[in-house]
Parts: sequence; structure tokens; C-alpha cells
Amino acid sequence: MTTVPLRRARGDNPVPTAFPAPPDASVLRFDGSDRALTDQLLAPLRGTGVVWWVLFAVSAAGTAVFAFSCWWTVAKGIGAWGNNIPVAWAFAITNFVWWIGIGHAGTFISAFLLLLNQHWRASINRVAEAMTIFALMNAGLFPILHLGRPWFFYWLIPYPATMGVWPNFKSALPWDIAAVTTYLTVSLLFWYAGLVPDLATARDWLDSRLARRIYGIFALGWRGTSTAWRQHRVAMVLLAALATPLVVSVHSVVSLDFAIAQLPGWHSTIFPPYFVVGAIYSGFAMVLLLILPLRHAYRLEQVITERHLDAMAKLTLTMALMLTYAYVVESFVAWYTHDIPERFTYLFERPFGTYAVLFWIMITCNVVVPQVFWWKRNRTSVGVLLAASGAILVGMWLERFIIIVTSLHRDFLPASWHIYRPTWVDFGLLFGSVGFFGFLFLLFVRFVPFIAISEVKRLRHDLGENGGREIGLPHA
Amino acid sequence: MHAHDHDHPPELNRRDFLRLAGASVALAGLDGCSRMPAEHILPYVDSRPELTPGIGSYYATAMSVDGYATGLIVESHEGRPTKIEGNPAHPASLGAAGPIELASVLQLYDPDRGKSARVGSEQVQWERVAANLAPAALRSRVGGRGSGLHLLIEPTSSLLDEELLASVLTAHPDARIYMYSPMLGDGATDAAVQQYDIANADVIVAIDSDFLSTAPFHLRYARQFADNRRLARPTDAMNRLYVVESTFSSTGSAADHRFAVRPREVTTVLRWLLTSVINGDAKTEAPAWIAAIARDLRAHQGRSLVIVGDAQPASIRALGDAINDAIGASGKTTWYTTSPLVGHHVPVHKLADLVGAMDAREVDTLIVIGGNPSYATPRALGFSSLMRAVPNSGYLGLYENETARDARWFVPMSHYLERWGDARAYDGTVSIVQPLVNPLYRSIAPPELYATLAGTSNGGARSYDLLRASWTRRTSGDAETAWSDALQRGVTADAPMSRVAAPTTFPSDTNPFEGTAFEVIYLADPKIHDGSFANNGWLQELPAPLTQLTWGNAGLISPATAHRLNVSDGDIIKLSSGQRALELPALVVPGHADDTVSVHFGYGRTGSESAARDVGADAYALWPAVGARSEAITVTRTGAAQALALAQTQSTGAGRDPVHRATLDAYRASPSSVGQRSGRVLSLYPEAKPPDSNTALQWAMTIDLTTCIGCGACVVGCQSENNIPVIGASEVRNGRSMQWMHVERYFADNGADAAMQPMLCQHCENAPCEYVCPVGATVHSSDGLNEMVYNRCVGTRFCSNNCPYKVRHFNWFDYNKHLSETELMVKNPNVTVRERGVMEKCTFCVQRIREAEIAAGRDGRAPRGTDVQTACQQACPTNAIVFGSLTEPSSEMMRRRNQPRSFAALAELGTEPRVRYLARIRNANPEIHDSR
Repeated sequence: MTTVPLRRARGDNPVPTAFPAPPDASVLRFDGSDRALTDQLLAPLRGTGVVWWVLFAVSAAGTAVFAFSCWWTVAKGIGAWGNNIPVAWAFAITNFVWWIGIGHAGTFISAFLLLLNQHWRASINRVAEAMTIFALMNAGLFPILHLGRPWFFYWLIPYPATMGVWPNFKSALPWDIAAVTTYLTVSLLFWYAGLVPDLATARDWLDSRLARRIYGIFALGWRGTSTAWRQHRVAMVLLAALATPLVVSVHSVVSLDFAIAQLPGWHSTIFPPYFVVGAIYSGFAMVLLLILPLRHAYRLEQVITERHLDAMAKLTLTMALMLTYAYVVESFVAWYTHDIPERFTYLFERPFGTYAVLFWIMITCNVVVPQVFWWKRNRTSVGVLLAASGAILVGMWLERFIIIVTSLHRDFLPASWHIYRPTWVDFGLLFGSVGFFGFLFLLFVRFVPFIAISEVKRLRHDLGENGGREIGLPHA
Repeated sequence: MHAHDHDHPPELNRRDFLRLAGASVALAGLDGCSRMPAEHILPYVDSRPELTPGIGSYYATAMSVDGYATGLIVESHEGRPTKIEGNPAHPASLGAAGPIELASVLQLYDPDRGKSARVGSEQVQWERVAANLAPAALRSRVGGRGSGLHLLIEPTSSLLDEELLASVLTAHPDARIYMYSPMLGDGATDAAVQQYDIANADVIVAIDSDFLSTAPFHLRYARQFADNRRLARPTDAMNRLYVVESTFSSTGSAADHRFAVRPREVTTVLRWLLTSVINGDAKTEAPAWIAAIARDLRAHQGRSLVIVGDAQPASIRALGDAINDAIGASGKTTWYTTSPLVGHHVPVHKLADLVGAMDAREVDTLIVIGGNPSYATPRALGFSSLMRAVPNSGYLGLYENETARDARWFVPMSHYLERWGDARAYDGTVSIVQPLVNPLYRSIAPPELYATLAGTSNGGARSYDLLRASWTRRTSGDAETAWSDALQRGVTADAPMSRVAAPTTFPSDTNPFEGTAFEVIYLADPKIHDGSFANNGWLQELPAPLTQLTWGNAGLISPATAHRLNVSDGDIIKLSSGQRALELPALVVPGHADDTVSVHFGYGRTGSESAARDVGADAYALWPAVGARSEAITVTRTGAAQALALAQTQSTGAGRDPVHRATLDAYRASPSSVGQRSGRVLSLYPEAKPPDSNTALQWAMTIDLTTCIGCGACVVGCQSENNIPVIGASEVRNGRSMQWMHVERYFADNGADAAMQPMLCQHCENAPCEYVCPVGATVHSSDGLNEMVYNRCVGTRFCSNNCPYKVRHFNWFDYNKHLSETELMVKNPNVTVRERGVMEKCTFCVQRIREAEIAAGRDGRAPRGTDVQTACQQACPTNAIVFGSLTEPSSEMMRRRNQPRSFAALAELGTEPRVRYLARIRNANPEIHDSR
């Protein structure tokens, strides 16, 4: 993608991309002028309605619960949670993996699909990227909060300490920190870089002096020169190229937190791809859950079209099938090992043991529910999409809970076995983090152009100029 | 010292002044905190300069439970005792110590102890109380011959006490002395006690007797029992133990054959056994297993033994005597001696006599010395209200407990680690009780009270002076040398009690009750005994053998009975008989007798002891009469439930069989099939080279599961040595036990057998915890220890998740934050007190290892593996745990490790633990197939 338009501009033959994907007019159905498009997409910056305030109040309350639960944990100790020995990890790590996974869809949509020339992503990538960052902000809190002595979290980071001690690179956890912080950094850069032209648009479009000044600062003096556009485009593609491997690497590293242990239920080579698939799966569900209400509230049906919904649902179904495959393989391998603890964990404890109800809810949410997307009617039905996305998010949270808790609470020696029961602090952190995510997201919707105006416009122009066949960079 | 001056009586004579001044100078560098007793106490023979900061000193003393002493060696740091160990020279210890003895050092520092004397609710000095107890003052109350004076003492074997009690009777000839403890019952006043020689018994039948874990002298019995079944080679001889009991005891878990019978069947079993022993193989109505036991007993004439539990009535124990006569055991493996308890020179009476006298209003002044009769008597007896009706009542005790509440005046009693005295072991061996520390509070010792009552002192007599005077009187020859010797060795040269004929009781020929649906059996608690130790967190939190229950008691029932009653663990059941009733949670124990409920004494306390209060249910409320072992009972399900604080929630091995077991015959037939099951675990890495003698010592441990009786001494020993916090019932329920050592228990699926596996950090060569720690807080030492660096730990807990043995414990809260000033004094200064948020685990007592290495270096020699004893090893009554170095092939540890039955726990994981277990071998009688 990067080099295609440049070469063409010099009159060379077009170089086919790996996945030629001609833009499809169904991804944008806006009939008005560019100015009207700007007006519609920036409207939330001028103010919002009652619904926003109600949601904001709810999410702010959730944030308060989150803050209180965090404070309580740090003040009292991890004992405030339900964790024990053998279940030394539970809700917090489940939340961590869940949020990280959700974050993956943002990068997948923004970077991966950008490189793959999937034009339909233009109108949803900003939301997806913001979701990534907010999810990562949540996710990053949990491993730190989860430490017995969170004030020493930086000991996991390789820095030249005067004592000459380094983290233990054999452990997955320093890699985990590296992966997550890299991911957060690249995601933030990618998001912000893409945002600069739109912030400039907002600067020019808004009336208030103060607002113009603030957006002006963040717009970094963007003036929309052709050079700037060209360099911006190159930067975006480079960042996308940087971010894309992270889609695969981050959750692979996270999965090693479990896979390098020898615990039945964790000790499995399928974990990295299995986790990546699960991550994208849950991320897609979250994107759907976010854009569908936005689409309705800000009347964006022309920008976020049925084509988007259909594509998202198809991808979701694909991920569900891959995940189902992982579930089947896991259990098959456990049976194939003839190892008593392995067989016990996969073939008895999970489906029939203490947490069996949660297991079957997980199977329903992750395996059964997405099968509705075999039918086109369901793929474009807002109601079905919302319900299925919610179910998948629940299912994916439960999947991580089951991986972590059912494996730990029935490990090798029966004398060690002990049930895990969460406390109010555990629930406070889970639901509080959801509230905090909503809080950040509502602020984002209110103050930041949540649809990439420049990209949508470009898509629109490309559609117009190329008769729906080819797409290139904005002309210099 | 200055900080504690207010604890001393206000008078300061010249001697005291010089003493204090001298001590102040001597201790100026010691942070002014020594509490060494004023009198000259002598350290244990392994003498070191006293009071070297940072170096512990060791003193011999003795602790009595129910009057029977166990010789101990106490470690002291800068004048504060921190750790109890057994005295190898003492016959009741042989170097071991039980949970109660080990935990007694915590009791010393118990902040709930009575701190000052009081009359009514007014706090007074002891001297004020003493003034009213002088004979002259007292005679005006109790009459010229003292007929209104009644003393109720807890059982004591002290020669000094007996001497002083005699002088009390001289001052008040008609005064009456009673001796009572709930566990001895009326046996406290018996003239004779039965002794056993387990060492020379090849076949032992224990009937309703937990002689390995709760009976007096149990530490010695356990050692002797284990010594005869160590099996250095498969061909070695091994003793055989049959246990017939209702509840599942430690002794039952050690048995080769165990038979669960209902309490009322005990008589029947004994009678069948007697008939079978006498009649030989003649046809009897007895089941086959009884005939088989009888044949086994007779085949070992003179080397076999039948033990009937002390709690059984004399008429039933007489059946045991008759069997022992028939099998030639009497006089060889069992005999009677005079009782070591007082009563030979002063008349002592039973509790019932006191109750009668109180009922008849004959008691003007009742002084209770020790014990807790307002609580630890059958509630139906009404002791508490009777005592409150006594015009002048007093109590000398450790705590302001239920009895103190019923007494007009109260004087705090000194803990045994704070007072001088003497005591006899069960066989009569005399030890001097040597204090390690000045009384923490304004407490007195019983001899000081007796001297006041006798009029030989006006309250100021010191036990030390009384003891020295008594010692000089009864020692022929050089009393001073003998005294030093007694203090240093912990035992005196006094002869044990003399043998006497068996008491003539006619064997019972009737069953106590017939045809009832349910029976209840009353038991001494293996941890808190009769309730005396209920305020001790180490004991409350010690998982009870077999049940794994902490912080409370339960109605123990068999799985079949649970099914019949439709209850499961924690469901509240109501036991009732007439007016008496008791509600408590049920707990299902495989191998328990059917239709029988076991209830342990000691819980449901209501005194001022905060840790004990409202923990468990009070079995004394149901107990029909002193000495009752069992009775018919009605059991109903109440519908309520309560979560039990169980340290282990699984009862069986879930088909994984972590403990390797075999019968002796199977082991002999194929020794190699019993030990390590899987061969070398395949690995990509080169195989580690075995250590040779040129490298540093390589620490390792071997634990023999054949001799482990699951008593829990190792757990308490470890807790004491390693500053392990007490976390309370709710945290145990949450699965956060902090004990580094845990005796894991696996019932066989049919409940007939229970295997114990002490589980501690296995110090794996390929430790799974080490590679997952992100900050390198757990690392391997060059001498093979898996080390935990507390101040590097950030608390990810990944190490615990990856530990297949789950021996790592996390500081979920700051468990040491709220300890009182005195509780802090029990901490071992050589072991870090861990802060919130870090992992901790067994260190193989690394502080002892380093101390031994330093000592060896000072002596200019290389350290040896045998220089170090871990705390668990030291406590173990059966020597099941041995520690040493892999580089010393001739050591006991290595000889055991090289046995064919040695195995590593979860060997298939390739962790290569430094801890090895020896498979549990049962010497099964091939004639018996139906253990039940």
C-alpha cells in the first residue's frame, strides 16, 4: 500500500497489493457536501444531550467505585480479594487479560486492515483505536494493583539499578510488561498521529476562542499542506507496520504468563494463537458494542453502513470458529496425554466441576451464540449484533476466568485444593473498570472527533474519482 | 529493664537495688530489655556465655499437662524465651515435643493473661490477698481446725507442692484438698497408673487409646513405636499395631489394621478378645479378625501388649489387664506403678466430694489453684453456681477465665516459664522447673500460695527459696552439685515410681447401654487438650490430625451416618439427652464408627481469653458426668449451617495417590515397585551431576511416611522457629494458611486407612517457582536451598501458581501489624518477620544452617550435615524427619533416602526435589482382610 501511489505518480505500472480490495460504495452512503460531513461528524464537540449526561453520571459512579476498590486494595492488601493459595491469581488477572484482549481489535482494525487495504475500516478505526487505548489503560492497572507490593512494580522493568539487579528474563512477566507498554506506546502514537488532521479541522471549525486554542495546541500546527499530508500518510503506514506485529505478539506474550507454567490447564503450546484469536474476538465484540449506539445516537448510518456491520459480524464468526477449534484441540490433547491431572482439568473439572455452570455459559456465549451470524439478516440486525456482542464479552471474560481459576483450584496435589470465591472488592474492580472505560470513552466521544473525518473524506473522494475501482492517496 | 520496673513489687531493698543496678550495667548494651530471672539459673549443658546478643542460650525445664511433666529445652534470646524443644535426656520427651509443649511459649506472652490480683472488682496487690490467707486470719473464717477451708488443685506431681500441701494441712488439719482435671477425671486420685513398654512390644492392640498422640507419655510411646518399624531394609522386622476405636485418631492412622467400632462395642470386643486369647482357636462367636488378633497376640507371648484407653472405666480396663495376663504381657510390656501425682503424703479427694460439700454449705473458703472447674466440669454438676454461693472463694490461674469470674478474688498465676518448681514425668522421673524469665505480670506460683496458707510465709515467700529448702531436705550428699546437675541436665537422679500390683477391679460384664440409635464419645482435644490451651493461636490454627479442622470442634460422624442424617460438612446437628443439649457443626470423617458422634472438649469458652471466646461448641454442656466416655444420645439436624475452618478440603487422593503405600509383604516381594514409579524424566537439558563430597554441603531431607503419625508437632515447631503468623478462622476458611509445614492427609477410598504426608518446600533442583519469578526473588543457593529473598519479592504470586506442591504462602495482609508488645517478644530474632505482600515458605531452617556453619568455622572445622537439625525434625516424636547433606552417604538421611521405598513427590514433573519420602508400609496381618 505504502509505495503504490508513489510509484503510480511517477507513471510506473501499478503494483498489485497482496489483497486487492476494491473499495465498495456500500461503505459510505453520505450524500451531502464535505462541509456537511464535517458538520455532522464534529457536532458532538459543540455539546451533547441528556443521554450522554446520564451515561456519564453512571460511568463516573463506576469510576468512583473503581478508585475506591483500588485504594482499598492498596491500603489493606491483596487479602481484600478472594484470592488464596492455590488460587493466587483470579479476578485481577482475568480482568487484565480480558481488557488486553479487547484492546486488540483496535489495532487489528486500524493497522492490520489498513495494511490489508480494507477501506471499510475508515469510519470505525478511530473508535477502535480509542477503545484500544482505554482498554490498555485499564488492563495495565491490574497487574500493578495485583502485586503484593505495587509500589515496587518498576522492579519488573529492566533499568540500570545501582545494585546491578535485573529482572529475571526467564519469566514471562518482564516480557509482559515490555509487550504491554510497547503496545500502549505504539497505539497511543498511532491514534494521536491519525487524530492530528481532525484536531486541526476541529480547531478551524469551532467558534470558542479557548476551544480553538486548546485544539490548536493538540493539532501541532497542522495546516493541511500536501507535504504534510504525504508525510502524515507515510507516518501512518509506518506506524501501522509497527503496530501490526503487536496484534500478534502482545497477546502471545500474555498467553505465556500461563503457558510457561507447568500447571494442567495452562501448560499448553496452543496458547499463543488461541489467545490472539480470543483477543481479537472479544475486541470485535466491544467495537460493535460501542459503535452501534454511537451510530444511532449521532445518526451515522450513512458513515457506518450495514456493510460495516456485515463485515464485523463475519469476522466475529470467523474468530468464533477458530476459538471453537482451540477449545476442541485443548481437550483432545488433554485426553491424548493420558495424564491424570491434565485429563481431570479439561475433561472433568471444567465441564462438570465446581465452576461448571460458568463453563457452559462460556461455551454458549463463545461458541453457540455467534453461529447466528451464518445468516445475513442477523449480521445486519443492530439488536442481534448488540446482544451477541454482549454475550461474547461475557463469554470471553469467563473464558479467562475458567483458564485461570479452574486450573489453579484443582492442581496436582488434592490436599492443596481450595475453592475460590470473589469478594466485593473483586467485583468492584471488575465493574469499576468497566465504568472507568465508559467514563474515558464518553469523554472521548464528547471532546475528540471520534470518526476519522479526513479518512472518511478521502474514502469519499476516492469513491467518487475512481468510480469505485481504485484508491490512492490524496493528490499532492 | 527500666521500662518494666512497674511490674515489680514497689519495695526495693538493698539486695534488689544492687541486683537492678548490676543488671542495668550488664545489660546497658542490650536495649534495656532483658527479663532474666533474678536467681541464678543454669543453662543447658551445652553451655555458652550467657546473654550474648544474637546468640541464643538453652535452658532445661519441664512443662506439666495434667500433672505429668515433659522435659524441655528452651531457647532464650536476650532473656526472652522464644522456642521450646524437647529434652533428649528426659524420658517423656526423648528430644521430641508435642504441639502443646511447643506452643506453650506463645501462652507465656499471651496478652489476655491475668495481669493483676483483685478482690471483688478492686485491683490489689497479692500481699493484700495474702494477709487474709494467713492461718490466723483464715481460722476466724474456716474454724480452728480449718474445716471450712477447701482447696481444689489441678493435678500436680510436684514434690514441693506435696510438701507444702502437707504443711497447709498441719495449719488447718480439717481442711480438704481435691484434685481434678476433666481428662484424668477421677483417675487423678488413683493410687496406681499403668505403664507400657512399647519398645519391647511386637504386637500392640490399642483399644480406644490414642497412646501415640494424646495419652500421658505419648511422645515416648511414639518414639518407641516408630523405632520398631523403621525398616532400614525390606527384610527388617516391623512391629504390628491393631487399633480398635470409634473416632479416627492419630494412633488409628498409624495402625496396620484399624477397626472402627461403636463405643458400646468396646466391651464386647474386649470380651471376645479375652475369650479368644484364653480359649485359643476354639470356636467363639467373635468375628474372624478378633480371632486373628488373638492368635497374633499369643504367638508373641511376652512381646505383645493390649492397651485400653485411660478414659475407659476401670471395670473395662480390667478386661485389658486380664488379656495382658493371658498373653504374658503383664510385668513385661505393661505394669502398674504408684501414681506420680500428689496424694501419697496428703489425702486428696475427688471433685464429687467437693460438690457434695458445697451443696451441703460446708464450704466457707474455696481456693481453686489452676484448672478451670467452672468451665471444665459437667455443666449438669452446677459447679459454677455452687462456687458463686461459697462465701469466700479465690482463684489462682493464668487467665481471668470462667472460674475467675465465679471467684471473689483472683490472683494471676505465673506461667511455668516464669516460675520455679519441680514435676514428675509419668514414670516418676523428677525434673526441676526452671524459669526463663521474670514474671511478666504480678503473678505468683502455687507454692507461694501454699506457704502463705501454711503460715510459713506472709505472702513474700519465693518459690525458689521454698524449692531450694525442699531440695536440700530431700537430697542426700552434695545438694549444691546435685542442684546444678539437675538444672543443667533437666532430670534428677531420683528413682522412678515403684511397681505395684494391678488394681483389683472386677471386669465389667454388662454393656453400659444397649439398643440406642446414636452414641456420643467425649474426647480430649489433641490440640487444646481440655480447653486450657484454647487461647493459643498456634494450637487453634494447627489442623487437627485426620480432620484438618482448625479453630473449633465439630461433631465427627461417618459418611454413612451423614447420609442417614442427611447432613454434610458444616450442617449444624443437635445432640441431646434429657435436659442436656449441644449444637455443633457436623464433620464427615471416613473411617469413623457409624451411628457415633465424636465431640472434643475445650471449645465454646466464655472467659476473658479473646482468641478462645466463641470458638467451637462446649462439650462440657453435654457431658453427663465426670469420667463418662460415651453415652446414648439423640441426634437431630437443625437445618442451620456453619462454614468450617478446614485446612484441607479434600479427603482422598482423588485417584492420584500422592502417597505411595504397600503392605510389608508386597514390599518384601518387590521392593523396587514401591518407591519411585517413573524413571528419569526426559529433559532437553543435560542431567545434573550428583554432588560429590568436594562440593559444599547439599542439604536434603527424608521423611518416613511409615512412622509419621500426623500429630502436628512439626507444624507448631516450624511456626515457632520461623515467626509464622496466626491468621484466624476466617482466613483459614479463605485458604490462606501460613504454616510452612502442613501435614496432608489422604483417606483411602474405603476410609479404612489414612496416610499422612508432611508437605513443605521440596527445595527442587529444577524449581518451577524460580524461573517464573520476574524479579529473581526466589533463587537457588549453592548448597541446594531454594531461597526466598523477601525484600526483593514484589508479590506477583506466579511462584505459587507454578509450585506443584503449593508450599508457598503469601502475606495477604500485614499479619504482624497488630501484635501486642508481649506477642512480639516470642519472635525468633534470627528469622525475618515478613511484611505484607511478600511470599514466604520453608527455608530448611536456613538460620540454623548458617549458625551451624559459623559455629563450625569458629571451631576451625568443616561443617557437617549432622550439625543441623531443622525445627520440624527436632519436634518430631517419631523421628520420621531426618535432615542432612547429600554429600554424606553414611548419614541417616542418606541411608533412608537410598532405600528402595524412597520416592519424590510428583516425580513425573521432573522437579527433582531435595525432599524425599519413604513409602508408607503397613505390616498387614495376612489373616485379616476386612479392616473396617
